[in-house]
Amino acid sequence: MSRAAGAGSPFAWLLLTPGMLFLAAFLVVPGVLLVMLSLRDVDGMLMMLPSYGFSQYLKVFTSAGYLDALLTTLWVAALTAILCVLLAWPAAWLLVNTRSRTWRTVLYVILISPLLTSVVIRTFAWIVLLAQNGLVNDVLRKLGLIDAPLALLWNMKAVIVAYVQVMLPFAVLPLATSLGEIPAALPRASHSLGAGARHTFLHVILPLTIPGMMSGAIIVFALAAGSYVTPLLIGGRLQPLLPINIYQQALQIANLPLAAALSLTLLVVTAAVAAAMSVVQKNWERRVYGH
Amino acid sequence: MSAIDIHGVTRRFGALQALDGVELAIAQGEFFSLLGPSGCGKTTLLNIVAGFLAPTSGSVVIGGRDITRLPPHQRDIGMVFQSYALFPHLNVFDNVAYGLRVRGQKGSEIATRVNDMLALVRLSELAQRMPHQLSGGQQQRVAIARALAIRPQVLLLDEPLSNLDAKLRREMQAELRRLQRDVGITTVMVTHDQQEALGLSDRIGILGSGHLQQVGTPLQLYREPANRFVGEFVGQANLIPARDEGGGIFAATGHSSAAGVPLRLASDASPTTAPLFLLRPERIALAEADGIASGPNSVEGVVREASYAGAELHLTVALDGGGALSVAATEGLFAALPQPGVRVRLSWQPSDLALLPADGAPA
Repeated sequence: MSRAAGAGSPFAWLLLTPGMLFLAAFLVVPGVLLVMLSLRDVDGMLMMLPSYGFSQYLKVFTSAGYLDALLTTLWVAALTAILCVLLAWPAAWLLVNTRSRTWRTVLYVILISPLLTSVVIRTFAWIVLLAQNGLVNDVLRKLGLIDAPLALLWNMKAVIVAYVQVMLPFAVLPLATSLGEIPAALPRASHSLGAGARHTFLHVILPLTIPGMMSGAIIVFALAAGSYVTPLLIGGRLQPLLPINIYQQALQIANLPLAAALSLTLLVVTAAVAAAMSVVQKNWERRVYGH
Repeated sequence: MSAIDIHGVTRRFGALQALDGVELAIAQGEFFSLLGPSGCGKTTLLNIVAGFLAPTSGSVVIGGRDITRLPPHQRDIGMVFQSYALFPHLNVFDNVAYGLRVRGQKGSEIATRVNDMLALVRLSELAQRMPHQLSGGQQQRVAIARALAIRPQVLLLDEPLSNLDAKLRREMQAELRRLQRDVGITTVMVTHDQQEALGLSDRIGILGSGHLQQVGTPLQLYREPANRFVGEFVGQANLIPARDEGGGIFAATGHSSAAGVPLRLASDASPTTAPLFLLRPERIALAEADGIASGPNSVEGVVREASYAGAELHLTVALDGGGALSVAATEGLFAALPQPGVRVRLSWQPSDLALLPADGAPA
């Protein structure tokens, strides 16, 4: 990159302006409005009052239901992130160790192509598979393994399965990048020192992919904590997940201040967890690479 | 018994014959270098010894044990990589301890051994540093300590000094030689740098196009090259094809002292058909031109190029009748350095002419 366009030059700031304006208009302004909305009081008919206060947050943090939903949301997002990182390993390994450029391109297309489809469509595919008269039940019944159809939908397990499928590419890509950056001489050095494949994986490869695994986990965690389409369609509206509560308060009950307070609570808590993971990752990188 | 025996090792990559029937025996405690231009197969041979590549045919025997089919981690080999390949997430101590921990040694034994190794490479104070906090030379020494810590039978060095700057390279060269002597470990180094190979090795194997062209001590390779490839690769060389005129006199076929008069060479070499002589530039004595008719091993010419390289002066002298000779002269001999266009007289002794097998003769 040329010095002239480097950080700090007036030209660089000029280039940043359109992006900054876009962010200001569609992130900062709505964010401020959301904060203000969350501080509004409502009357018994859920009509907004002109007064401001913390009554909505009081409701969030004193309701066992909302606190339970918050914890469940974090737990489900964390479990999804862990499963995604685990399942990302074979895919990332295949991507990095495929010698032929053509095959590697094919694998990347396979990996990324689901992202070109809407989340709603991908989630509907799971309904087709898991419904009472869906593909999985059909096959099991025809094989004689079950008599009555299993209830595969409308529970948290199905939600997690769908989350993992939808979000897996976000875990594979950073892991593959991290894995691909390990110089070939490092596993060779480990072998020359007497370590077999298993020891080398556990003591050299795995530690060096911590940044990639953390990046993937942060992305998946944040996406899973904020997702409402997938749990609503697959888990149903009764699942104790905060995004579903927000959806109900905003669009069904029309208590916008409470929906705003719930949203900001979820946003702050999710950001705090992601920030903590990011600190762990940055500390590791500073220790290993000095920057 | 040799420490390393390489028998008929051949390696093909598709249509490319990287190594062709290499036979080599390396003695216990020897510092052996594989030297050659890039693509000559030297790294392939090292990787076959280390176990990172399997030979297409042939075998590798270390300490009497055939290891051709063993995976690298069962070979008992210490290796220093060109990039050092230190584990970036482990500090210096843990890098050196890595191979000992793999072997399941006790913590106290490991600490003793690691501290001994760090003392050997003079890095004891840096045990807690991370690799990224070390200079290139320090990383290099950690890599050597790590390879030696496991007490391997053989130490393999892959272009170990090529990532260091010139001054540090000379220091590390001396350090490497000291370490190798102290530990007494059989060492095989791959390098494309002939100064490095000549300065460090007990013996050198010159690899060219998949064949071992010559194996010998640095002096043998320089003074008695086995063929044209070795003569041209090791050091600078004037190659002078000639024909035998009898009585110890040979007439050059490509160099002429005057129009139509071949350069005449006097040599003790036994007569052969189409001999090829090698004359090192620094063996040629340089004097002012005197205009006297030239006898054997003496000729006049005009300096065509002169380049100054510190201790040495490199000249290309065009002979009057055609052909040119490279001359290396000590800088201190001249009050004023010879400039292009100056006439000079070149001369040498019969013993300065080394006879090479004629082109096309087997290596």
